[in-house]
Amino acid sequence: MRRREFFKGAGAASLALGSGAGAALVHLYAFADTANLSKVEARYYKKLPDKEIECQLCPRLCRLGDKERGYCGVRENQDGIYFTLVYGKPCSVHVDPIEKKPFFHVLPGTAALSIATAGCNVNCKFCQNWEISQVRAEQVAAIDLPPDKVAALAVENDCPTIAYTYSEPVVFFEYMVDTALAARAKGRRSLVVTGGHVNPAPLSELLQAVDAVKVDLKSFSPDFYKSYVRGDLKPVLETIKAVAKSGRWLEVVYLVIPTLNDTPEEIRRMSRWLLAEVGPDVPLHFSRFHPMYLIKNLPPTPLSTLEEARAAALAEGMRFVYIGNAPGLNAEDTVCPKCRTTLIKRYAYSVQVRAMDKGRCANCRTPIPGIWA
Amino acid sequence: MAASLVVKVRLKGILGSGGGLDRLRLRRGFEAGFKALLAAGRPDEAVKAMFSPSDRVGFKINAIGGRELSTRPEVSMALAALLADGGPAEKNIVVWDRTNRELQEAGYRLNMAADGVRVFGTDSSGIGYDPDIVSHLSIGSRFSAIQSRLTGAQVSLAVLKDHGTAGLTAGLKNYYGAIHNPNKYHDTGGDPYIAELFDAPPIKARHRLSILDALVVQYHRGPSHHKRWAEPHESFILSRDPVAADVIGWTIIEEFRAAKGLPSLKEDGREPSYLFTAERMGLGAARKDAIRVVEVEA
Repeated sequence: MRRREFFKGAGAASLALGSGAGAALVHLYAFADTANLSKVEARYYKKLPDKEIECQLCPRLCRLGDKERGYCGVRENQDGIYFTLVYGKPCSVHVDPIEKKPFFHVLPGTAALSIATAGCNVNCKFCQNWEISQVRAEQVAAIDLPPDKVAALAVENDCPTIAYTYSEPVVFFEYMVDTALAARAKGRRSLVVTGGHVNPAPLSELLQAVDAVKVDLKSFSPDFYKSYVRGDLKPVLETIKAVAKSGRWLEVVYLVIPTLNDTPEEIRRMSRWLLAEVGPDVPLHFSRFHPMYLIKNLPPTPLSTLEEARAAALAEGMRFVYIGNAPGLNAEDTVCPKCRTTLIKRYAYSVQVRAMDKGRCANCRTPIPGIWA
Repeated sequence: MAASLVVKVRLKGILGSGGGLDRLRLRRGFEAGFKALLAAGRPDEAVKAMFSPSDRVGFKINAIGGRELSTRPEVSMALAALLADGGPAEKNIVVWDRTNRELQEAGYRLNMAADGVRVFGTDSSGIGYDPDIVSHLSIGSRFSAIQSRLTGAQVSLAVLKDHGTAGLTAGLKNYYGAIHNPNKYHDTGGDPYIAELFDAPPIKARHRLSILDALVVQYHRGPSHHKRWAEPHESFILSRDPVAADVIGWTIIEEFRAAKGLPSLKEDGREPSYLFTAERMGLGAARKDAIRVVEVEA
């Protein structure tokens, strides 16, 4: 690929889709006027006596009687059979800059068709999309968009990738996997933006179908996960290791929340763990917190805290460390770890690819890990 | 401090006829229960002690169990008729749960008309959940507009059931149906969530009375209906103390379990510890020595 130099502004890349799907852009209702639920049998569950089931998709292992929902709110036991209620029923469909996910080492400057259904298998008190993630399937307005139509939309909108994002895509696992396979048949890649709460078997199937995974590592403290995420740290770390081992592209985001997960010691421990388990080339994004959902009593993360976190991660040996949600800190650029040439210049969602050539630094020819073409 | 009063109304034989429930007898049961609960000479005096004619009263029923294991329509309507005689007009009484579908599957006829007892779900057009989230202790939820705006007084008219994780689902846990995200509060046996949800202002400020429909009790494998583990008990449990009402309901479940050779809920790892949490929070009495049970026949 010839080295390209271009800017793509956020305005151009975040266009809503055209008629039809455009109507689905995050219109939220306490209840949708008409419940638009799927009834597609779930793939990872175990039938138990007396019409009970055990969901085996995520580490929660919800055990449910007839008519009960899982923690995610979008999977239901109906007469002893477990169904996903959101297959082909996204509530949010956008064309976003890929940097918004964020993926910084995947096709920079391109657009990702981004979809989500209702539901999530954790309950982060700082969730930024709680109006779709922390609701049940019937509490949003969903549209009918089966996998082949998602793939076709990606083609129509010149999106080389489809991102499963906003809420928690693990809870719409079947829809995500089938869409990824349909997209692959049309030459489109799939990107997963996840909290990483997923069991090994479904994760293994997912990794066969997708190309890149961004994991939100919300803290490096089990207590934080228990108190503020309502989840567990250990399975998230296992997911990060499994993605790296699979060869699929991996990026990690760490939302820095003042006083809750921002100590330099925790950042250093987390960085050392990443270095040891997945290596120095996994991009690590420190993201700025803004008061939201159930945590409105804390200020936005001080910029100095973000800079200290980045410095700590770099000092531990991570090679690609970024700061997000804080444009202007000059910490969004991709820099060659060897010769320090600025390879990709970024300001928020504006991207200028300056010195990349076939996945290498155009100056010193050092390979830069990622998906570049 | 006076013990919390719980009234157990026995309606022996009410399930025996094979057909529908005798509404007149149900009414007499409620009358006896109200009189005993309020130490009143007449039922309407008891009603007036709890409800005023200007009240808009909700009956938060439990309709998830279909026709077999939901708050029975005959029970709801008998209670509404009693209240209407001394308190609010029928048109100011709403029988409700999450969805119209569940209400209909439980045998209710929807009514959003101007007259008569209203019956509708939170998912009715124009109702829904409040847009703002209420954050209270470990709870973060949007409340049904029926709970938060359409009614000023609430009766938790629940069904007495075993619950697979919480141990017991009765009057307190019934309010899970008043929020948009009950699926988020089933960890750790619902403790402390069930108590903390009840403590949230939209519920605590409106709750007037707990009534458990214990005509048939699911004492094992709940909350779903399993005929094998459901037995007639032919009773109502009434109390103004929401914790004490549930504790007596729990006792009934344990009696059935012991009689059937099943382990206690504690032995089964499902003791409803949220009741003790509720007591510590000052919501009512969980210790049996702080509860006085009066049994009446009707």
